[in-house]
Amino acid sequence: MVLSKNSGGHRGMQESMYSVIALVFILVACVELCDAAAAIDVYRLIQYDMSGSAYGSRFAVLNHHAASLHFPPGADLSRAVLIIPLRELNITFVREYINQKKPLGGLLFLLPDIFSFENGGNKQVHEKEKLKNLLAELEQLLIHANIPYPVYFAFENDEIDTVLVDIKKNDAIGQPATATTGGYKLVIPTPEPKKVASPTITNIQGWLSGLKVDGDTNQLPTIAIVASYDTFGAAPALSVGSDSNGSGVVALLEIARLFSLLYSNPKTRGRYNLLFGLTSGGPYNYNGTQKWLRSFDQRLRESIDYAICLNSIGSWDNELWIHVSKPPENAYIKQIFEGFSNVAEELHIKVGLKHKKINISNPRVAWEHEQFSRLRVTAATLSEISTAPELLQGTGGLFDSRQFVNETAITRGVKLVAESLARHIYGHQGKNVQIFADGGSLAVNPAYIQSWLDLLSQTPRVAPFLSKNDPFVMALKKELADHTDEVNMQHEVLEGVFTFYDSTSARLNIYQVASVTFDLLLLLVLGSYLIVLFSFLVITTRGLDDLISLFRRPPSRKVKTA
Amino acid sequence: MTMFHFFNCAILTFGPHAIYYSATPLSEYDTLGTSVKAALVYLGTALVKVSENDGFDPYQELLKAVIGFIDVAGLYFALTQLTHRNISQNHKFQAVGLGWAFADSVLHRLAPLWVGARGLEFTWDFILQGLEANANLVLSISLAALGSLMWLRKNKPKTLIPIIYACAGIVATMPSITSYLRRGLGWHFPKVVGFELFTSLSMAFISWQLFSACQRPSS
Repeated sequence: MVLSKNSGGHRGMQESMYSVIALVFILVACVELCDAAAAIDVYRLIQYDMSGSAYGSRFAVLNHHAASLHFPPGADLSRAVLIIPLRELNITFVREYINQKKPLGGLLFLLPDIFSFENGGNKQVHEKEKLKNLLAELEQLLIHANIPYPVYFAFENDEIDTVLVDIKKNDAIGQPATATTGGYKLVIPTPEPKKVASPTITNIQGWLSGLKVDGDTNQLPTIAIVASYDTFGAAPALSVGSDSNGSGVVALLEIARLFSLLYSNPKTRGRYNLLFGLTSGGPYNYNGTQKWLRSFDQRLRESIDYAICLNSIGSWDNELWIHVSKPPENAYIKQIFEGFSNVAEELHIKVGLKHKKINISNPRVAWEHEQFSRLRVTAATLSEISTAPELLQGTGGLFDSRQFVNETAITRGVKLVAESLARHIYGHQGKNVQIFADGGSLAVNPAYIQSWLDLLSQTPRVAPFLSKNDPFVMALKKELADHTDEVNMQHEVLEGVFTFYDSTSARLNIYQVASVTFDLLLLLVLGSYLIVLFSFLVITTRGLDDLISLFRRPPSRKVKTA
Repeated sequence: MTMFHFFNCAILTFGPHAIYYSATPLSEYDTLGTSVKAALVYLGTALVKVSENDGFDPYQELLKAVIGFIDVAGLYFALTQLTHRNISQNHKFQAVGLGWAFADSVLHRLAPLWVGARGLEFTWDFILQGLEANANLVLSISLAALGSLMWLRKNKPKTLIPIIYACAGIVATMPSITSYLRRGLGWHFPKVVGFELFTSLSMAFISWQLFSACQRPSS
């Protein structure tokens, strides 16, 4: 390196080199030093309007200090975020806070691992049922309330557990975090939530043609098998609905596969058409099913003998229910029920019949078969649930995760439906014939069921957030196309009553912050250190007299050192 | 609030240099040019050094210690080769040491400080870094003093020469020693900084004594 007195050009080169070095250091430093104490994925509570009323959490941005449940009574929480693990949740406390509209900066609920797909696995957690029920109750509370601050869900992990322990310690001492006392700050930098414009619902149908004998001009009768595939829950990014209605979708796909095997050979093709329907808009009074049926040709609708709707058949032990809206004395209903009962007896399943009358003036549609019945098509719903669910209840929420679904239950359900249908189609009612016997080529395939169930348990399926060409919808279409002759997709807009807002998931940064008083103290200490240093140096190098003479000069000399 | 913290750490890191310059007679003799030149020589030597790695590997460390002597070479260059204005020996080494330490602080500590201390996350690292900068200042000045004793003073008492070289050696290898402590023995940052402060003060004291001892014969 050559340095010279008048190194103008050289100095310029050195300066640019220096800036290059500085840039490199900045890049290196960025990687190491910009991180927060912890950064975790969080999922927002749903925000929606129903008939003009606002529900759910109305805000998404978060920038407040953290507090735990051990906060000192009377503390002001309007600028604090309460972190509540599910295990310590006291539902009356939360209900009180929400109903009395007490001001709060935000809520963060920590869910145990069993509710997540990756870590759920087969961990045996005691009080699994209790946690599930608690979470279900919490969800119902949150989705029917109007909450003017952000509410987020996250899964427990080591980082946030250590942070929470620390926060609890600070709260116990009686020092809730504010700007002057330090603590933890939770920051979620996400844009303001916007309305989802024209949410689409997509119905997928597959048609399996029956055997038409030459010379027979009549339309073949049709049997429909329907399941709704979308969900609704407190956290749309986590609403995977393994049981409601992932189990129904999986069962429908397996039944389609079995019948496609039978129908592929003209010798075993039945004299019935089979119509498979994967409908959307289930939680919203089966809006999608209604639109799908309305789009049918009159002749097609009249040719439907009956429809079987599948809803939640994944976690039952020994009892299933068939829900109907026509009275049980009706001949068709009797026939269907007897067919199912016979097969059920052989499989050691108990099947009960439940009748619920439709009230045309009431817009509430509790079961999918009611949409068929309103258009005078005989239909029934097979489900493990015995009583009709309320609006937005049992639609696949946070607690409905893979852990709580049992593949064997679905397998038995598939067998029940497939055998009953087959006996009706091939005219073997009452005979003890096992068409889909275990071990044969037409046996129900548990691996198929398991792999589709796993896929469904990892895919959140809230309809407004599924676009027209969503990969999952395309996958369903492709699968149905593999098993049927013809597949059609119907795209509709979810109507007026519901409006949804986006921003369903984000990344939370947890910063450990020092208080302003700390920095003030530091400034004081540093100031005195520098003053002492200055005096020391002056005294040792120039003598005490010089130091005193400094003070006799005009004040402008004194401030040279800061 | 976080700009405040940045400000605090900045005055801890760079304040002492400014204070040293203004408090001692250096400011009266206008030795700023010398300091600036010394700073630039430091940048030159920094370019020559290899980047650091994480583990403590004896061969690598030996290599680094050898390269550390490039520091000494650079300092030699700054002290002897640069043409200074007519400043006494006493002030020359102080100015060179000051410029050296200032360049070191700016190069190694300014960028992390700017990027990290302004963020929300609080960590003690920047305050410790500032303390380290202080220790480094003292060490640089002692090294410059010993260097000027070694190369600029012609008539030294014979008995003190080996001591001078030994101290110079220790001070020159200080970076290697600290990196060994941090990585090889796994000492935490506060402990390392404490060690640096202690050694820098003791080294400064020793070099001061040596310097004044050498000064006596040649009045």
